Amino acid sequence: MSAFSPEQTVVSPRTSAESVPAITLQNLRKSYGNLEAVKGLSVVVQPGEIFGLIGPDGAGKTTTFQILAGVMEATAGEVSVLGKPPREARLNLGYLTQKFSLYTDLSVMENLRYSAGLRRVPDAQFAKRAPYLLQQVGLEPFGDRRAGQLSGGMKQKLALCCALIANPSVLLLDEPTTGVDPVSRREFWDLLTAVAAEGVTVVAATPYLDEAERCQRIALIYGGEIQQLGSLANLRDSLGLQRLEVRAGDVATAEQALQASGAPEFVDIQTFGDRLDILVPDAAQGEQRVRDTLAQHQIPINSVRQDAPTLENVFVNRLRQQGSDPPYISFPMKHAGKPKGDIAITTQGLEKVFGTFQAVKGVDLTIRYGEIYGLLGANGAGKTTVIKMLCGLLPPTSGHIELAGETANLSRADVRSRIGYMSQKFTLYDDLTILQNLTFYCGVYGVPQRLQPEKINWVLETCGLQGREHTLTASLPGGWKQRVAFGASVMHEPDILFLDEPTSGVDPLARRQFWRLIRDFAHRGTAILVTTHYLEEAENCHNMGFMVAGEVVAQGSPSDIKGNQPGQLVEMQTTQNQAASDLLKHRLEPWRVSIFGDRLHIVLDNPDQELPTLRQWLQAEDITIHAAEPIPFSLEDAFIGIVQRANVD
Amino acid sequence: MRRIFAQFLKELSQFQRDRLTVALAFLLPLAVLLIYGYAIRLEAKNIPLSIQDFDNSQLSRGYVERIFASQQFVPAPLLDNDPTLAIDRGIAKATLVIPPDFSRTIKDKDSVEVQVLVDGTDVNNARVIQNGIRATTQFFLRSDNLIPDRPRPQVVAEVRLWFNPGREEAFYIVPGIFGVILWVFPSMLAAIATVREKEQGTIVQIYASDLSAAEWLLGKELAYIAIGIGEALITLVVAALLFGIRIQGDPTPLLVGTIVFLAAAVAFGLFVGVRTGNQTGAVQGTAIAGFLTALLLSGFIYRIDNIPFPLSALSNVIPARYYILITRDALVRGTGWAGVGFAPLAIALIGGFFFFAATRILHRMQFSD
Repeated sequence: MSAFSPEQTVVSPRTSAESVPAITLQNLRKSYGNLEAVKGLSVVVQPGEIFGLIGPDGAGKTTTFQILAGVMEATAGEVSVLGKPPREARLNLGYLTQKFSLYTDLSVMENLRYSAGLRRVPDAQFAKRAPYLLQQVGLEPFGDRRAGQLSGGMKQKLALCCALIANPSVLLLDEPTTGVDPVSRREFWDLLTAVAAEGVTVVAATPYLDEAERCQRIALIYGGEIQQLGSLANLRDSLGLQRLEVRAGDVATAEQALQASGAPEFVDIQTFGDRLDILVPDAAQGEQRVRDTLAQHQIPINSVRQDAPTLENVFVNRLRQQGSDPPYISFPMKHAGKPKGDIAITTQGLEKVFGTFQAVKGVDLTIRYGEIYGLLGANGAGKTTVIKMLCGLLPPTSGHIELAGETANLSRADVRSRIGYMSQKFTLYDDLTILQNLTFYCGVYGVPQRLQPEKINWVLETCGLQGREHTLTASLPGGWKQRVAFGASVMHEPDILFLDEPTSGVDPLARRQFWRLIRDFAHRGTAILVTTHYLEEAENCHNMGFMVAGEVVAQGSPSDIKGNQPGQLVEMQTTQNQAASDLLKHRLEPWRVSIFGDRLHIVLDNPDQELPTLRQWLQAEDITIHAAEPIPFSLEDAFIGIVQRANVD
Repeated sequence: MRRIFAQFLKELSQFQRDRLTVALAFLLPLAVLLIYGYAIRLEAKNIPLSIQDFDNSQLSRGYVERIFASQQFVPAPLLDNDPTLAIDRGIAKATLVIPPDFSRTIKDKDSVEVQVLVDGTDVNNARVIQNGIRATTQFFLRSDNLIPDRPRPQVVAEVRLWFNPGREEAFYIVPGIFGVILWVFPSMLAAIATVREKEQGTIVQIYASDLSAAEWLLGKELAYIAIGIGEALITLVVAALLFGIRIQGDPTPLLVGTIVFLAAAVAFGLFVGVRTGNQTGAVQGTAIAGFLTALLLSGFIYRIDNIPFPLSALSNVIPARYYILITRDALVRGTGWAGVGFAPLAIALIGGFFFFAATRILHRMQFSD
């Protein structure tokens, strides 16, 4: 993937505009009525830079992108893109939104051709570039397939091709990988890096902070203002803290114990899946303190590692300082839950065929009350179809389902009233206010009148929306809608809860709050089936199944899954991660290599023998390995391995 | 121009992919044609009529025969020799009373009076019956050469439709249906196509390119005119097969008029599309506005002269009004450009206004706050 343009002779405007910044924002402001979405944003992005934008939901990211793309007028301030007002620079811009802006009833090729036509791409150039781009993203075999029939990850790759077809100088990406699985979104970023290497300026917002770590500079936006701006190293240093990665027997109790100790050394304690990240001013002292504290509580420690803080550490820490940690309020439970351990859902040989396409193949699941079961898999693997069959929205083609003791008529009202379902697409009515939506769902699920105010209040408080309950739902940022939708799906205290990507597009702090609530429900005896693309969250699950192409290919507890991974995982830091990854993917099997933020993760069967060879290969390309050390598998590593190996078979 | 053409192609391939839209475009108009073509009858048929013939001569019997020959009336029994009893019981809608001196008066070349008792509960029908009997009587008198033909040039043309016993009413209705079908459906399709881009967010891609509002709308305009031409051809062929409609005289006014009319309909659809936010609104806006105006204010069902003042002024800006003039001329009268030359101009003016309004609304090609 050395040269992204098939023809090298194209003289792009960017060579002549090298001295002009790609983007200049001076005191940018935007108000919608009384609401000030952007309050004085100033930033300069240089040509060829990969610039990351991170921030909580409703921080003003989307508004900023819309202004940069020239599709919305700023209220005040100066905006220039490639030295021009955005509207005049539009032909040199590529703009990708969270919502796929593809024509679903046109084919892949037709979508590309249409985008090319819009941007005055000459036929000859289109004929060369279109097949080339499709080949780069692996969509070549699907030229005739309708965009509507592509999986989420493929759609976004196609959207990227559409944005790239006209050879833009600036690429604006507004959370394009939201809801995209870990494998696909890595492929997406590999492409972006290749594009940027060609001199294209990339400005990207993302809810995945490991992706943001791949940016040269990162701006943390909060409340319509830039709170912090700099390279990953700058941001880390600004924190002035070090990170301890603590793996202990029981993460939750360990966190409680450390929190309760009130030791001033523990500046911030954050749970990441199966480990605790503890930010401390001094690593050695901090480690000692952690060991002491946990020893007092007789909590066994598996390992403690010292490392630099991650971007997520910085982000979470900053937002907590801002006081934007959403409040945790326990749910006002009114019913006694089901006895834990009883079977809530079982399926045997569950199948679903759409026409000639087999979406689900022989799925066997068992989920008990009080259990959180994670259904993981790439986009289009069949997770949503399984959920729809389980909650009676879709009849299975064959197979057996038992749900809350019922085997037939799962769509009956009394069965329905015992389940809660939060679908991937927002289930709220955009044209109702938040309060009207919540009242409506209370009515639908038969929440008794006298309990309604309390429950609705709980949702509003949990979402931090008190006093804003009369806002139209349509005007909420995506992440907030998710929170309200979650609230709406649990108000009736279901015994069985289906959550289809509940945290998609939700910022890290709110995601933590989500999971705390989910754990609460499980603790009370609710059976929960959840899907997510944030694998570190999936560590919260008691059991999980990995789906590939309609089949469950691996099942078990998180530690089972991680324990069953072949080989040893090695984490590396190199001088050029992207180039190193590209090279190693050619030399090794591709599933063995993946980029995690500013690190490289490589699965080796025999690190001691193989590492020197890798070092030589990389050295030949002038890439130096700074550090390489064996680390335990995370679920994300496991996911990438499982999915990619299954796809090869 | 190239980009407009690209829009045009994209719009057409999107259209043919969506089976529901294709059905909407081609099957619904046929349904409308059939329903309106067969169901709307301004003329009443098979009205039960009882006869009290006091004359009972050869001439009076011939007259009665002539009346029933028109299919407008069917014989109903006369009860107890009472002309009103059958009407009271609902067996007959009217009774014709022929005076004893019927044949004698006619032979004296004097004017004769027959009495018709009509059930007045259905005012509309009553008028139809009254006119029907009057017309048959005229025809009878003329055809039997009982009164000398008097030249009545202008009146004949207008009156014929009502007063011709063997007449085909489809000739009057079907050209009007064209005005409804070719207005409602193209505008609805265009409005859906426009609003769908908003709903699905694809319009952002357009905003982010430098395509102008006029280019974007023109691409859609052309695509839906093309689809509208398809609809027009199918409707015309089916109407020809079912109702025996033929193009009379010069076909060019119909050709030009239809294209201009389709353009205006599509422009109206685009206008509704850029104004509304969702497909439901777009469909309702175009359907309700289209059916109301094209049916009621176009002279299709109610003569424009009969429409009271504020509405009659409104009817002047209803393109269907002008188009129906064209179709009636092309499919019935056949006088060509002479009678309808101004109509395409009027339609183009109104259509142009809608298109201009649509581009004005979108001209910034940006999100509004």
